[in-house]
Amino acid sequence: MLRACVLVLAWSVSGLAVAQPLSDAAKVEFFDRQVFGILKARCFSCHGNKRALKGNFRITSRKGLLRGGDSGAAVNLDQPGESHLLALLRSSEDGERMPPDGRLPAAQIEVIARWLKLGAPYNPQLEIRGVANEGLPTNQINDRTRSYWAFQPLQRPPLPTWREGPLPAQPIDTFIGEQLRQRGLRPNGLASRTQWLRRAHYDLLGLPPTPAEVRAYELVEAPDAATRVVDRLLASPKYGEKWGRHWLDLVRYAETNGYERDTNKELVWKYRDYVIRSFNADKPYDRFVLEQIAGDELPAPSPDAIIATGFYRLGIWDDDPADRELARYDYLDDILRTTGETMLAMTLGCARCHDHKIDPIPQADYYSMLAFFADITPQGSGNRNHVALTDLEAKADYERRLAARQTEEMRLQKGIDVWERELLEKLAKAKPELQLKIKHHGKPQQQVLIPAATDKSGTNWKYTLKKPANDWFELAFEDRSWQQGPAGFGTKGTPGSRVHTEWKSKAIWLRRDFRLTTIPGRVKLHIHHDEDAEVYLNGKLIRRFVGYVTSYQQVDVTAECFELLQTGRNTLAIHCRQTGGGQYIDAGFIADDGQVPTAVLAAKYGREILGVERLQTYQMLVRALGDLKKRKVEKRTEFAMAVSEAGRHKTWILNRGNPRLKGDEVGPRLPQILDPPQLAIPSVNAKAPTTFKRRALAKWLVSKRNRLTARVMANRLWQHHFGRGIVRSANNFGYLGDLPTHPRLLNWLATELMHGDWRLKRVHRLLMTSRLYQTSSQSNPAALRADPTNDLFWRFNMRRLAAEEIRDSILNLTGQLNFRMGGASIYSEVPDDVLRTASRPGAAWGKSSPAERNRRSIYIFVKRSLREPFLESFDWADTDNTCDVRFVTTVPTQTLTMLNSKLLNDASEQLAQRLVIERPNDLTGQVCRALELATSRSALQAEVEEGVALLSELREQLDLEPVAALQRFCLLVLNLNEFVYLD
Amino acid sequence: MYLAPNRHPRNTFCGRLARRELLHQVGGGFTSLALSGLMSTDGFLRSQAVAADGATPWQNPLAVKSPPLPAKAKNVIFLFMYGGPSHVDTFDYKPEMYDLDGKTVKIKTFGRGGRKDGGRVVGPKWKFKQYGECGKWVSDLFPHLGGQVDKIAFLHSMIADSPIHGSAMLMMNSGSVLSGRPSLGSWVNYGLGTENENLPGYVVMLDPTGGPISGAKNWTSGYMPASYQGVVFNATGTTILDLKNHRGASRQEQRLLIDRLRSFNDRHLENRQDNTALSARIASYELAFRMQSSVPETVAFENEPEHIHQLYGLNQKRTADFGRKCLLARRLVERGVRFIQIYSGGNHNDANWDAHGDLVKNHNYHAGNTDLPIAGLLADLEQRGLLDETLIIWGGEFGRQPTAEYAKGTGRDHNSFGFTMWLAGGGIKGGMSLGTTDELGSAAVEEPLHVKRLHATVLRQLGFDPNALSYFYRGLDQRLVGPEGAEPIHQLIS
Repeated sequence: MLRACVLVLAWSVSGLAVAQPLSDAAKVEFFDRQVFGILKARCFSCHGNKRALKGNFRITSRKGLLRGGDSGAAVNLDQPGESHLLALLRSSEDGERMPPDGRLPAAQIEVIARWLKLGAPYNPQLEIRGVANEGLPTNQINDRTRSYWAFQPLQRPPLPTWREGPLPAQPIDTFIGEQLRQRGLRPNGLASRTQWLRRAHYDLLGLPPTPAEVRAYELVEAPDAATRVVDRLLASPKYGEKWGRHWLDLVRYAETNGYERDTNKELVWKYRDYVIRSFNADKPYDRFVLEQIAGDELPAPSPDAIIATGFYRLGIWDDDPADRELARYDYLDDILRTTGETMLAMTLGCARCHDHKIDPIPQADYYSMLAFFADITPQGSGNRNHVALTDLEAKADYERRLAARQTEEMRLQKGIDVWERELLEKLAKAKPELQLKIKHHGKPQQQVLIPAATDKSGTNWKYTLKKPANDWFELAFEDRSWQQGPAGFGTKGTPGSRVHTEWKSKAIWLRRDFRLTTIPGRVKLHIHHDEDAEVYLNGKLIRRFVGYVTSYQQVDVTAECFELLQTGRNTLAIHCRQTGGGQYIDAGFIADDGQVPTAVLAAKYGREILGVERLQTYQMLVRALGDLKKRKVEKRTEFAMAVSEAGRHKTWILNRGNPRLKGDEVGPRLPQILDPPQLAIPSVNAKAPTTFKRRALAKWLVSKRNRLTARVMANRLWQHHFGRGIVRSANNFGYLGDLPTHPRLLNWLATELMHGDWRLKRVHRLLMTSRLYQTSSQSNPAALRADPTNDLFWRFNMRRLAAEEIRDSILNLTGQLNFRMGGASIYSEVPDDVLRTASRPGAAWGKSSPAERNRRSIYIFVKRSLREPFLESFDWADTDNTCDVRFVTTVPTQTLTMLNSKLLNDASEQLAQRLVIERPNDLTGQVCRALELATSRSALQAEVEEGVALLSELREQLDLEPVAALQRFCLLVLNLNEFVYLD
Repeated sequence: MYLAPNRHPRNTFCGRLARRELLHQVGGGFTSLALSGLMSTDGFLRSQAVAADGATPWQNPLAVKSPPLPAKAKNVIFLFMYGGPSHVDTFDYKPEMYDLDGKTVKIKTFGRGGRKDGGRVVGPKWKFKQYGECGKWVSDLFPHLGGQVDKIAFLHSMIADSPIHGSAMLMMNSGSVLSGRPSLGSWVNYGLGTENENLPGYVVMLDPTGGPISGAKNWTSGYMPASYQGVVFNATGTTILDLKNHRGASRQEQRLLIDRLRSFNDRHLENRQDNTALSARIASYELAFRMQSSVPETVAFENEPEHIHQLYGLNQKRTADFGRKCLLARRLVERGVRFIQIYSGGNHNDANWDAHGDLVKNHNYHAGNTDLPIAGLLADLEQRGLLDETLIIWGGEFGRQPTAEYAKGTGRDHNSFGFTMWLAGGGIKGGMSLGTTDELGSAAVEEPLHVKRLHATVLRQLGFDPNALSYFYRGLDQRLVGPEGAEPIHQLIS
């Protein structure tokens, strides 16, 4: 400051002459104080703007000034007074004079003249350097765009020299420190330990530390205490629930399709769980991308690799579009945009109708990228997009269980065989009349005892529609009064029926005789029933059929009939009932002379031949085998909503994006500005389920040659720890995005990510154990003036909690938060006022049990046409477009929710109950505890006094019961700025 | 890009906007509503109520802004006839069509039943009469509205991109058949803010049977911050979500709580003075407290005189509900709310104008519920001198076909090839009709008017160049009228 005063004095004394030679530093100071303001105010808008540089002349850097523009050199340093620039400034002609909107005051022109005389010194810190080949358009692939920072090959920069004493904990601090030093700024001091701990907990878990954790951390003195905390947090499964949600924002995760019916995306929650699982397992980011883009095309894909491709099924889908062809391209466009912005931070979608207006993405690149996705099957409802998961482990397990079962079956069967052989041999000897041996040989002869209507025009049956006497099915029943008619009976049109006699009433009773000369070996019913039917043979119920069938079935009834069949007359009787729809009954009866099943013989003769005990042993074996066969070896097939391909689709460049204006055909090819390698897409035969195009794309996305993927993800990791990305526009690294505030830091971090096996937890550790992460968020007037937007990170950015963090923290405070993970989504309690806005108010939202309602917010059902109102109110991510940075709005409707909603009032009551239990009969203790829970720090004396004062005011002025007053105080605590803002 | 003149972003060259700065100003996540308007009027404005640069005054995104061009209208009331009224049975008079009733004609149609090449004509089911000085033919469905035709400009040649409810609703409300765009009201809210900070700038009132299909998608702010989305107003009962305390806390209790909260929050603010988001949040409690009294005052109709009750049909069972909403719309307009949308019809099927079955029963019902209140609204606005500055829009997401949907009956399928909407007030010429459909009303013939032209007209009347009002998102200056742009319907503008 002293030096500056001296300088000013020196100029005013020496006047225009400036005889005295100035030091370089003084020249720079002169530029800073006198010149820069003029240039900035009057020249930069036309000769400094990055995109619309007038006359191709840049005055924001010395290099630009000396280079001149379209009208030649601007300055003449040998004869500064003759400079063209001065002539233009002094000109009185309107078309010529600069600036065109009004002449500079004479004093300012003199400052410029003096500056040129000094040799036009600049302050390098204030220079805005132009880019190479400034005049070239940014939306073409040329020398200018090839040298744009984001499209440059990724190189690891050397660490800046550290000059401020002991080396910082993390290399990132050297990058931050260097830029601060260059601007003459010092970083803030450190945040308190509690602030740091709260930051770390919220950033990794989305929840605050418990008071016990805070106290423990305050006391610990080990130098690696912070590292240990970070490791503990990274190992918590809640980490995946917090960071998984960041990813879900990017891929516009929702569980319905949108539009008129807004149908559910069944099973899509498995994708959400996959994301959470992947973060918790510290899955390398390259693998994570690979699985989502082409998990199905990986060798022997695991269930997770298939579930990951649910990525393609998350977007909006109109099931009844006005223009189906266009809708297909809209679907592919949505995928391409989301992929481009999420993985590459490139706005590829802007090149759908024409070449990108700003970035070097020609329309051909858009459609070439589209070609990677062209064979994906369309979206569908229900299980249309479900894919079976082949779980190799589960499959092996199934095969093991199957083999064990077969061994057991064989063992039982062998035992049975031994018994049966003995039984048959002894029986054949004991009862030669059964002719057991004869029946052993040859193909059994069939004998149709009662033909079904399938064979002939229909057997005549006796029937009645009126309820007959109770003994109607007996052999001896007198059925002469019954009617007679050909089978089958029922109404025409009943599926599989052959109606010859119409039957429309509620019930029918049927009887038919047949004669036998010998007892057959096996007998079968050939029956069609609609609906319930009971079948009797010679007065005994042999089988009851429930419900209806749509065709004739053959049913073996040998066991049931063996005891009942007799030579001579036999009677089959049937009763069939009808409740609604078609109706029909018919039955044939078929016999053959094959071997009577041994089990049947055993039932009849076993006791006599084998004796009671031995028969029981045999029968136990038979039962065991029967039971075993009844139990299916379960092969559960799990499904997931996932990608599939069908057919081979050509892709054309579509003029104006119109599917009916097809231009040149294109194949899968990568954006040319990124200098991609030639892709090797294997040729597969025409019937292969997929084409492996997506795998080729995915492998390039995560290849070390890719210039963007690592930068983009490293930037996101930074963003969610420091409040903004190094590139603020995290989804757009193009010319319309922001420039990185710390480009070399971003490159360094990106290479760290890549070389650290793409593991995210390692990067979290790097960031969170830095000095920057410990920096306080306090204001500092000087720094605030120099860098109001904190571009240089002289302080830590405060942030408001995200929607999920607010809701989860409220429930957490009450002690009611349910930490159960995963599974189908749950439904929070939505007010009727919100349900009424749906077109089907009654069917708009589901109902979960109170315990389920209290689960973490990431498990709340995401419905496009009815967004959870609390989360919606606090700037929940958009569901229809990728969301890289959430809004942070402050509107009074939020306040109404925080003060008046059922959620908050219930929560404050539960918190009050918790306080009463934890600090019984101790008002001060209750107030302290509530504040401690909400802010992670001990309450101040003044706060306690005010809290206690409020409680007595509420009791005295409003006549509230103590518990009710405490509830109101808890509501206040939940409304504290400190509760929803992190330092 | 449109920039409110009083909003000076940081890091500009000569006050001009570096686009990437604005991106973060309006949507970048680290800024927030500061409610400086409120703070200044209430004396809350302190030195900290500036942007993080310590110099730039913070602006409430909903602070009132003046449009860049002279405005003819200040407010919009959109009467949304959800389901799609039949134009040939309401305002698009087709005298030759009566005799064709029951005859089969060849004509191309496209509705929920797909594309067809012909069908049985359903003649208009109501008689038409001439009204007003302009002699406009209006069907007997609207005897009261007939008396107002000299205020109205009819657009008979509207066309839309989709004849399917879901996408057509999005088209009419957000200019695109694709989901995710901000609705018309959000654009107005973004461009103009709200004059009354105690009320939302964009109010939506729904039918008692439920919302339209896609629910909140119809008043979403899409990719804009949620502060611009429509706020659902219940004309009876609870008015706004959570306006009343769940436990029925008294004003006195809330005052006590907010005062104490203020004290806690002020202490927290002490060494965080530069964070205006914190002071904005403090201020929002005062605003919310005031809303709790100003909103009930707005819906308190009791003090309206008897003749007003009658004018809007509040004393008749059929018209009471829609009448209340129309009257509330007028009261909201009087209190500075810029954009109000009222739905006639909700839910599905015949609960709205979607007359697939019995056309006569359906339209008699919905027209009968709304004719008197709408006529009352027009008359009332005029007598109060508010019609000049209030633009009224009437119409559905599409019209209906001339032919029958089924073998029997009078039901008509959807028709987006040609349909009628009307505008009144807000600098629109009255007593005129623009555009025609063919003799059966199946498609627009003269002067086809895409929905985007309607949107462009609304924005123009409010003082915007529709092709300039934009919002930077996803690498593009997004506009309500899309990248191709759209011209206002100049013939309508007086």
